[in-house]
Amino acid sequence: MIRVEGIHKHFGALHVLRGINLEVSKGEVLVIIGPSGSGKSTLLRCINLLVEPDQGRVFIDGVHVNHPDIRPEWVRQQVGMVFQSFNLFTHLTSLENVMLGPVRVKGVSREATEERAKDLLARVGLSAKAGAYPAELSGGQQQRVAIARALAMDPKAILFDEPTSALDPEYIREVLDVMTALAREGMTMIVVTHEMGFASSVASRIVFLDAGTIIEEGRPEEVFETPKHERTRVFVSKILR
Amino acid sequence: MGTVEAAVRPAFRRSLFARQSAVRMAEILLGGLLFLVLLQVILGFSLLDPDLWRVYSRSFWNGILRTLGYIALILPVSVAVGFCLGWARVSRYRAITWPVSVYIEFFRGVPPLFVLIFASILGPTLLPERFQSVELGLTLGALTIAFHSAAFQAEIFRAGFQSVSRGQVEAAQAIGMRGLQSMRHVILPQALRLSLPPLANEFAVVIKDTSLLAAIAAGELFHLSQRIQDTIIRGGGSLDWLFAIWTAVAVVYFVMTFLVTRAMLLLERKVHARGLEALAL
Repeated sequence: MIRVEGIHKHFGALHVLRGINLEVSKGEVLVIIGPSGSGKSTLLRCINLLVEPDQGRVFIDGVHVNHPDIRPEWVRQQVGMVFQSFNLFTHLTSLENVMLGPVRVKGVSREATEERAKDLLARVGLSAKAGAYPAELSGGQQQRVAIARALAMDPKAILFDEPTSALDPEYIREVLDVMTALAREGMTMIVVTHEMGFASSVASRIVFLDAGTIIEEGRPEEVFETPKHERTRVFVSKILR
Repeated sequence: MGTVEAAVRPAFRRSLFARQSAVRMAEILLGGLLFLVLLQVILGFSLLDPDLWRVYSRSFWNGILRTLGYIALILPVSVAVGFCLGWARVSRYRAITWPVSVYIEFFRGVPPLFVLIFASILGPTLLPERFQSVELGLTLGALTIAFHSAAFQAEIFRAGFQSVSRGQVEAAQAIGMRGLQSMRHVILPQALRLSLPPLANEFAVVIKDTSLLAAIAAGELFHLSQRIQDTIIRGGGSLDWLFAIWTAVAVVYFVMTFLVTRAMLLLERKVHARGLEALAL
């Protein structure tokens, strides 16, 4: 469903991604781990073209999406994204945040969208906060609204860029619970995270990225318990403590 | 609490604002009245002298109307130009930002009176003779005030644009918005929220700056009041009349400025997003 072939990305002199190949099938949950600066975020952003790859190809449902003939806006409607710092629109209420995409981008009617948006907020447990502005919500609540906002576009897959890294510890659980529920319902997800509990219980596959290359790939128990590479072993021992 | 509070608050805030405005208006009227009584009784001004107004009220009203006309031309033009310049100023292309910076530096550093006089005298002579007229010179002069203010407004809008974080733009892109859509629905509402208070400030300055048009004999309030002053002095009239005329001029400018800044405050309340204020109101 999502295929990445030989992606390279430079930022000036920095060679951030050095030939990444990746495949994610429908309903799969792929977790990307790796030290900071290894290119995890850049890789995610190359998939929805927030970052344009310098080299290589990205396919979504068989369509070569980083092709000059394809509008990146169309690609981003197919693949949702959830950010580390939530990035909710500060001037809109939770409900309006969820509704903005369907109404303005897809042109769905306000009434139909409002109904749907309320359902989505209920799904992330925030019915009571529909009229609240982002600044009135806790980090965990903001991130759950952000997930509802991504879902409102009916994406084929969702990219999560360290969705719990900016959260106070007491709010991490509620966000991971929503993500776990999504995974169980069959949503295709690519998740950059340091939450090893979530990774081992939910991920179908783990990818370990270091210095812009995929070092190791496998099922959670393989990567966490019997890593083949020294660098994976060192990294895993550090985050599992 | 959430939804109930959300439902009650806007209406409550509106009535609160109306009440606050009414109280402020009453305060100002009372203060103004006291001030006038002070001038009238203690300093012996004859503000309401029927003889004075029988002679000069026509001229005074014409001045007010003309000033309002100039404001109606200058304010919209200055906002339109200032907004475009402010937008251009945050462009990633140097070919766009550089000329805009030059424009802003020029108008910031040169007295508006200088540009005003130059444009109104020199401007028409650059055009073919059949287009030349006094009225054209005056309009060009008024436009320079708009262009001058636009330079300051450009910086206000630039600050607004730059206050919107990169993450907001990325989030808009991530739900598939095109550049103009994210500008219209995400960047602009947030940038304007921060631009409105300093913009109200600038509007007050522009309204009072229309008095500069007196320098090119534009027939607006300030100019006509100067003419009234001349005739009073030449006719050997009383000094009280001068004070009365100029106090009336001050009151008119105050009322115009107050109404516009209040309207801006209303707009500010409208785009207010709860929870963002650092201090409770």
